[in-house]
Amino acid sequence: MSRQKKSVSVLIALLLMTVAILSACTKSDSGSGADSGNSASPASPSGSASSDSAGGEKSNEPITLRMTVWGAPEEVAAYKVAIAKFEKKYPNITVNLQHIPTDYDTKLTTMVAGNDEPDVAQMESASIAYPLAEQGKFYNLQDFLSSDPEIKQDDLVPNITYSLEPGNVIGLGPGPETFALFYNEDIFKDAGLTPPPSKASEAWTWDEFVEVAKKLTIDSKGRNASDPSFDPKNIKQYGVNIGTWWGNYSNFVYSNGGDFVSEDGKTFALNQPAAVEAIQKMADLINVYHVAPSPVQAKNIPATNIALQTKKVAMAIDGQWATAGLAQSKVHFNVGVLPVMKEPMTTVVSGMFSIFKSTKHPKEAWELEKALLDPDAAIDLLTAGTWMPSYKSWYTDPTLLAKWTENLDSRPSGYKDAVVDILLNDSHQTPTGYVKNFNKIMDIVNPALDKVWLGQQSAQEALDSIAAKAQAQVQGRRDVKG
Amino acid sequence: MRKGLLYGLLFTSPAILGFIIFTLGPMAASLGLSLTDYNVFKAHTAFVGFDNYSRLFSGEDDLFYKSLGITFYFVLLRVPAVIIISFVVALLLNMNVKGRAVFRTIIYLPSIVPAVASAMIWMWLLNPDLGLINSALRWLHLPTSNWLYSESSVIPSVVLTTLWGIGGTVIIFLAGLSGIPKQYYEAIEVDGGGWYSKLRHITIPMVTPTIFFNTIMAIIGSFQVFNEAYILTQGGPNNRSLFYVFYLWRTAFQDTEMGYASALAWVLFIIILFFTFIVFKTSKSWVHYEGGERA
Repeated sequence: MSRQKKSVSVLIALLLMTVAILSACTKSDSGSGADSGNSASPASPSGSASSDSAGGEKSNEPITLRMTVWGAPEEVAAYKVAIAKFEKKYPNITVNLQHIPTDYDTKLTTMVAGNDEPDVAQMESASIAYPLAEQGKFYNLQDFLSSDPEIKQDDLVPNITYSLEPGNVIGLGPGPETFALFYNEDIFKDAGLTPPPSKASEAWTWDEFVEVAKKLTIDSKGRNASDPSFDPKNIKQYGVNIGTWWGNYSNFVYSNGGDFVSEDGKTFALNQPAAVEAIQKMADLINVYHVAPSPVQAKNIPATNIALQTKKVAMAIDGQWATAGLAQSKVHFNVGVLPVMKEPMTTVVSGMFSIFKSTKHPKEAWELEKALLDPDAAIDLLTAGTWMPSYKSWYTDPTLLAKWTENLDSRPSGYKDAVVDILLNDSHQTPTGYVKNFNKIMDIVNPALDKVWLGQQSAQEALDSIAAKAQAQVQGRRDVKG
Repeated sequence: MRKGLLYGLLFTSPAILGFIIFTLGPMAASLGLSLTDYNVFKAHTAFVGFDNYSRLFSGEDDLFYKSLGITFYFVLLRVPAVIIISFVVALLLNMNVKGRAVFRTIIYLPSIVPAVASAMIWMWLLNPDLGLINSALRWLHLPTSNWLYSESSVIPSVVLTTLWGIGGTVIIFLAGLSGIPKQYYEAIEVDGGGWYSKLRHITIPMVTPTIFFNTIMAIIGSFQVFNEAYILTQGGPNNRSLFYVFYLWRTAFQDTEMGYASALAWVLFIIILFFTFIVFKTSKSWVHYEGGERA
């Protein structure tokens, strides 16, 4: 009796051990995910035999491509549309889409460490894309672009191509994003002020901008910031929300003729007069004129759509992606061109899609990459306002342009001038795309700028104090050979 | 007897295997990695001996000393606060009052709230403009603070947020308190002593083993502070809340320098070991175990 009991318990113990050991091993099984698709689909060969005409030169051997993306649900939905179209064109290819909404870089790093890279991945130029590219982890998309019959580099809008060095393209953005000045039309009407111009040629100077912002900054007793008895401690409505991350201030640094590094890529340049002036002028909006919230006060300011709708701010400097939220919240918003320091300018930011060298199917991965760039597939995101198209023709051909800019809540009257024309004529590449070691430089710059936005130090003092440390991290520019 | 050992090992094997595979193995691996320049993205990894460690201590990496200093400051503030407050709370909860179970539940409840949720609540409470705490201070005409957003107040604010979750420590204190035999108190009453004598001569000496245990756990937990920096402050403002483990995580997963991060981890391990050892050593003079002998 007792013996039997014992053998039962031994059995259970063994079972537990096996479970423990097995669960420790599962990771190594999933590591070969890329080719497991081949062995695990016995049904498909018969199904795909008839359909290889669409794929043309491709064989009908079943292929699985793994792709990772981040992004909001509506962006993932757009990827799914593009993928469905792609899978219809190439019936032998299945795309395994992995959506990683948070900690994307950490998870991708772990995949790389485990030799478990996806075939195609969305990458962020400000973080791990370049460190990976420097280790030769990505295909040079230039090779595909120059031999592709359907698409040429000239077909793409400017500044969505990410290169490790001239001639080595590591990623292509599915669409550019520019910066602009969003505003609530009702506030301007009520105040009897002329709203921001939308044409670059008529853009406000910085001083004109400051004057308007003053009139639109209202304290709790209804006085505005140009009133001598104005109380900056109890502000009900801010003139403008400027946002203090590098994307926002880069616009003005460029507009003022400054840069993050010098033209030859050898010198840290944010402490040079042009950049310092731009950053100081932005900080003065917060600490001298009290027309913009400090980073601490900005914690109470909701996203641009709600901030404009609830009249917490009258104007906001934000990326063009804000139009999606603004359209949804039905606020009477419009968009103007950013105020100009020396010349009109916007920074263009975007994610990118890259192809890992470890893929077994580079040709198919390139076809997938092309499918992701296709504006037709992303039409929902274009009309909603989240994205702008990647093809130049969608900006220059009036019928195509109309498809995503006319009669839409997300595209107010100023949009074509303030966003589309600026992108084509006065846009600057994101610093993440050409400043080598951008991350490490910004790890030093950002804490120093905290003090500038809080008014504890001038931009010159703060940036000079870290210039030597930042200089030590400067490694050159990617758009300069050598 | 031998058979007993065999069964014993067999039944503990899931735990033992788990420890070996998931704790000891990775620890050994990280010790090995700390002697290399392993970077996740680089194809080649070279043995570099103690280079990582000398880079740490050479002062070349000023964030190392900065994060270490910040973490020490945090430990110094938090450990005494946790021990004293949870002891006082445990004393109150140990009193024979109506609704004691309800109070105990209320005190323990925050401990089961996920760290992210409680951090979000604190972010709202400590918001400089709209937060409940500053609003209350303003209403009382007291000076307000920027809490998490100013360099001088960020560490004390983080300590404050962690004090909300002392439920676990309180429970352990309560267990220690309920283990004190009633007759000791009766003896004091017979001798004419009041509450202070009870506390000073019975309660505190009797719970020193619990204080000892909680102190060690609080030291270890405080040195490893991470969630707060990750969720509340991202290490800011101006790197003033760049806790050691947060810096370690950033080095490992954002800069992908796993070798260097492993060295950072081992330095922390040695530091924690050292302080635990010190507390153990001094414990002989202040921890009393029942029966009279000192440990």
